[in-house]
Amino acid sequence: MAKSSYFVVVGCGRLGALLSSQLSSAGHSVVTIDIQDSAFRHLALEFSGFKVTGDATEMTVLRKANIERADCLLAVTDQDNLNLMVAQVAKIMFDVPVVMARVYNPMREAIYKDFGIATISPTQLSAQTFLDILSQDMQMAL
Amino acid sequence: MGRYQTFLRQRYRAIAAYTGLVCLIAGVGILSPLLALLAYPEEWTLAMGFLLPGGLLIGLGGAAWQGLRPRNGASLTLQEGSVIVVMAWILAILAGTVPFLRISGLSFTQALFESTSGWTTTGLSVVDVTQAPRLILLFRSVTELLGGAGLAIITLSAIAGPSGSGLSSAEGRSEQLAPNVRRSAKLVLKIYLGYIALGILALVLAGMGWFDAVNHAFAALSTGGFSTQDESIGHWDSALIEAVTLVLMLLGSLSFVTSYFTLTGRFQSLWRDGQVRLQTVLIGISTLVLLTIVALPIYSGLDKAIRVALFETVSALTTTGFSTVGYDDWGSLGWGMMILLMLVGGGAGSTAGGIKQLRIYMLYRSLLWEVQQMLKPDRVVGEPSLWQSDRRQFLKDTQVRQVAVFMFLYLATFSLFTLIMSAHGYALDKSLFETASSIGTVGLSVGVTAPDAPVTLLWTQIAAMFLGRLEFFTVFVGLTRMLRDMGPVLSRK
Repeated sequence: MAKSSYFVVVGCGRLGALLSSQLSSAGHSVVTIDIQDSAFRHLALEFSGFKVTGDATEMTVLRKANIERADCLLAVTDQDNLNLMVAQVAKIMFDVPVVMARVYNPMREAIYKDFGIATISPTQLSAQTFLDILSQDMQMAL
Repeated sequence: MGRYQTFLRQRYRAIAAYTGLVCLIAGVGILSPLLALLAYPEEWTLAMGFLLPGGLLIGLGGAAWQGLRPRNGASLTLQEGSVIVVMAWILAILAGTVPFLRISGLSFTQALFESTSGWTTTGLSVVDVTQAPRLILLFRSVTELLGGAGLAIITLSAIAGPSGSGLSSAEGRSEQLAPNVRRSAKLVLKIYLGYIALGILALVLAGMGWFDAVNHAFAALSTGGFSTQDESIGHWDSALIEAVTLVLMLLGSLSFVTSYFTLTGRFQSLWRDGQVRLQTVLIGISTLVLLTIVALPIYSGLDKAIRVALFETVSALTTTGFSTVGYDDWGSLGWGMMILLMLVGGGAGSTAGGIKQLRIYMLYRSLLWEVQQMLKPDRVVGEPSLWQSDRRQFLKDTQVRQVAVFMFLYLATFSLFTLIMSAHGYALDKSLFETASSIGTVGLSVGVTAPDAPVTLLWTQIAAMFLGRLEFFTVFVGLTRMLRDMGPVLSRK
């Protein structure tokens, strides 16, 4: 990745805020989008990027965040469908090189893969970690 | 030692480190006029006056930065940023007095006045520029150059500034060009230095000597206004030089955000921008009024009258403070217009001072909206909006409240300082003019600021310039925070 990249983070909840703050303090340009103004209080002091209030499913809001210039878009709202839609729009309409999305429902990961969108599923990750610990601690054959 | 105390000490170690870094950069700035020795080697005897304060700042700042630097780049709150900005500015101003003390033979108060006037980009002066050596003249312009960009912005663009926008917001530069504070600071500096290089060239082409061109380009773009001549720009009496200076002053008072968008080809942001619109209207009206009522009867010839009316208007509104004429025969209307223009000031996010056009424009839009609201049916919902560069902003009640409170504080301080000046025996109109000039960091003078002015008067102006440049709240927050934390940090419990 280049020394300073341009990130658009959709959803400024706990995860979105954490990502935005850490990317910002690492020297990257970050724009974070949330539909609610109050969500931006999650951001840490290190964050020095732009905040855009609005619905990320609207093209004008994405344009306001200068998505045409973005090197990477992270869709991390708490709604799978919204994440998928925003990620698709970014990928297809705006040709953002790297698009990643959070998806809670592991069943949907396959669809995302078909669209060429990298996904992270907290549910899947937690399940895997649980199983790993179990198999280590209890020497169970799982 | 309590947990709170440990925490506070840790924070203040970081604060001291970053203050050191800012001081280091200010120190390099103080040393930089020595480069002119290459051109004027005969003034080498003056070098000690710069080496001493510059070296001291670099030494102390460097030591603080080296010794106390937080391991993994801490971020700062707005309050901590305020402490750093206030401390660094005070130290830079104090160090800046030394060259004046050593070389120009000023008293301490006069030297401090000159230094404050430089760093805050005011341009009021008690130095006799006809007698002053070139190094001192250049040094004054350099302090304006650095103070105009802002010490915090320069520090942030360095390799090792803190992350987060606490520092730049504390210096009154919260508008960012790019969605990262460091990149934004670098862009600001690039634009600023580019303007300055162009300015120097343009002034030379317009017929100024190199030395004067460098000084005046620094002073015009930082909206500072120190001149190398007694009669300021009026010395040349050239329409071309006035025109070039006019453009430079306007560029200096244009928000860097708008500058950036315009330079990158998004011209919409220029004519849509609320501040630009307000500035255009203000300059138009003021020039017209000054021309018809003040300038035409006094100056012979229409062209001279137009030149004077336009130049003085822009100089006052951009808070630069160059002048081409004296104002003694301007009458009450002329003075009144100038005082109002100086109070309004330049664009927010530029190098200019004053209340800032953005605040005035916000209040104007709110007023307009309020009246429209009264004429509409009860249930109509809406929000006042304004264009800031390429974005349409909706005004929130909190913003309007902050602006209103700021205006109140600004005008209250303005009144108080005017009264203090009147108490020294100056006429009310002169006091109003000179106070507006100090608090708006303008630098136009009607003769109150002089080497023989009373010490207390100079101190009042020093306070006004300092508060005006750092926009009040930063100074209050920084000082209060420091005084309150001093006890717990230093106590041995």
